[in-house]
Amino acid sequence: MKGLPGLYGKEKDQMLGRAQKKRVVLTPYYLMIPPQFLIWAVVIFPLIWAVYISFHDWNPTISPERTFVGIWNYVTVFRDERFLSALLRMLYYSGVGVTIQLFLGTAIALALVEYVRSERLRTFLLVLFLLPMMMAEAVAAQMWTLLITDTGTINNILVWLGLNPIGWRSRELALTTLMIVDIWQWTALPLLIAYAARISIPESLYESSRLDGASRWLILRKITLPYMRVPLAIAFLLRFMDSYKFLDKVFIMTYGGPGTATELPTFYLYQTAFSYFKVGYGAAMSWIFGIIAVIGMFFFWRLAKVQ
Amino acid sequence: MRRKINWGKGVGIGGLILYGIFILFPIYWTFNTSFKEIGDVYKVPPSFVPTRFILDAYRFIFQGTGRIALLNSLVVAAISTAIAVVLGTMASYAYSRYPFTPLTNEGAQFNLLTVRMFPPIAFLLPIFWMWKRFGLLDTYFALIITYTAFNLPLAVWLLKGFMDALPRSIEEASYVDGYSFWQTIRRIVLPLIGSGLAATVALCWIFIWNEFIIAYLLGGRNVILYTAYLPSLRRGMRIMWNQIAALSVLAIIPSIIILVLFRKYLVKIYLRS
Repeated sequence: MKGLPGLYGKEKDQMLGRAQKKRVVLTPYYLMIPPQFLIWAVVIFPLIWAVYISFHDWNPTISPERTFVGIWNYVTVFRDERFLSALLRMLYYSGVGVTIQLFLGTAIALALVEYVRSERLRTFLLVLFLLPMMMAEAVAAQMWTLLITDTGTINNILVWLGLNPIGWRSRELALTTLMIVDIWQWTALPLLIAYAARISIPESLYESSRLDGASRWLILRKITLPYMRVPLAIAFLLRFMDSYKFLDKVFIMTYGGPGTATELPTFYLYQTAFSYFKVGYGAAMSWIFGIIAVIGMFFFWRLAKVQ
Repeated sequence: MRRKINWGKGVGIGGLILYGIFILFPIYWTFNTSFKEIGDVYKVPPSFVPTRFILDAYRFIFQGTGRIALLNSLVVAAISTAIAVVLGTMASYAYSRYPFTPLTNEGAQFNLLTVRMFPPIAFLLPIFWMWKRFGLLDTYFALIITYTAFNLPLAVWLLKGFMDALPRSIEEASYVDGYSFWQTIRRIVLPLIGSGLAATVALCWIFIWNEFIIAYLLGGRNVILYTAYLPSLRRGMRIMWNQIAALSVLAIIPSIIILVLFRKYLVKIYLRS
């Protein structure tokens, strides 16, 4: 954004005189009114209402009365063990899952550039690898549910091969199963970013270092990876935020169960707000979620910029 | 030395093949299942190749709620993409060309982006009650407007990139030639970012097409979108996997088309960011 604006208003006023000046000043306002109106009406105003309601205890299924409770809802969130363990679960699910996605995506992208010489085949493979990313989380979750139920395809194949079936949706494994599905679907994003970063590195760098007799490993470590560090940090950030945001997979594949074994924070929020109808408490939780997301975004953004 | 290189190549290509199988298998299996009779779904050993193409599942989807759900998704996604892209064009032009007014400075732009950072479910609680209060829950209007608001930041973010890449001098030249503001936008700016506009439309559309939780909470009875319809197929005594698979196959067709059409743009968009 830096190099662009600067002189524009002034320069143009000088060129075209006062009559133009008025229009230059007003145009952005005309342009911004409809989009801003929409955002305020549908997003910001409801969020402000959510602040108001978060200071109340309100369960519309029991009574329409709202009781003012001050900041009590916010205090309760941080003392709610279910919420805290959901956060821990999220750290495992997102932390491990996204790290694997990042490594796998980078490795596949590099292998794609390195070993697939035919342009056509490369494009075909890229499209294939990106396909999971373009489909609905809900659809991907349904596809995988078919594979991983107790009498599902994978267990059928295992039984057929004479092995023991695996309880993919058991208390111990369920969260990891979700993570595998997330890896299946979203490795594509780091892959795409790594691929884009890799092909933007000038080929001459590789040629000259190869002439100098550098080994492949050295080239990878000294040229490729340093170039890709910032894009990969951004990929990590994007994926981490997204895996925090979406609850489609949990909703469809396990519905938080068995017990609370796969209850991620967003799903707990869904339960609170739309199954138990603790609206005031849910609103407080929504705000805490949003703030965590914005702080997380800032933190990573800084990190990405510094690097 | 030579042996080492071959080894690396072997691992690389082997990895690519394994990863390809990993990616392809669930998709293939869904395709495979959609042509089976329900009795064959649980067979051990499973049939790996569809021997007979039984179209019962597709017939069921096309005759029942499935068709309505798919059409609803199509229409809702199309209308709200159209609104989001029009509004997004306005906002991104203002952001790109006049970044110093109170409505378009960096802070204002950041506000718009927070919409993207917040988890959708955190917005949905107040939005749900707002639409309920207005009696608009489960209407096309509520779904379309909500989707538009959620999609607007994406549209603005993508379009601003294309606008920024467009040299300002082109517009100045067109003013000098006597074009008015709207003429400049319509005849110069929009055609020049045409392909970027198309990519933005595609991405916004697919985002709504794929969305689940908004569709589930704000729709459901009168206006049912296919993502919200999918889980309901699993209720009941017997899970009709072939029908779920058929609907899934139909649902990913647009994704494939858009991916193939815009494959080059995806790389470009991420290159710039």
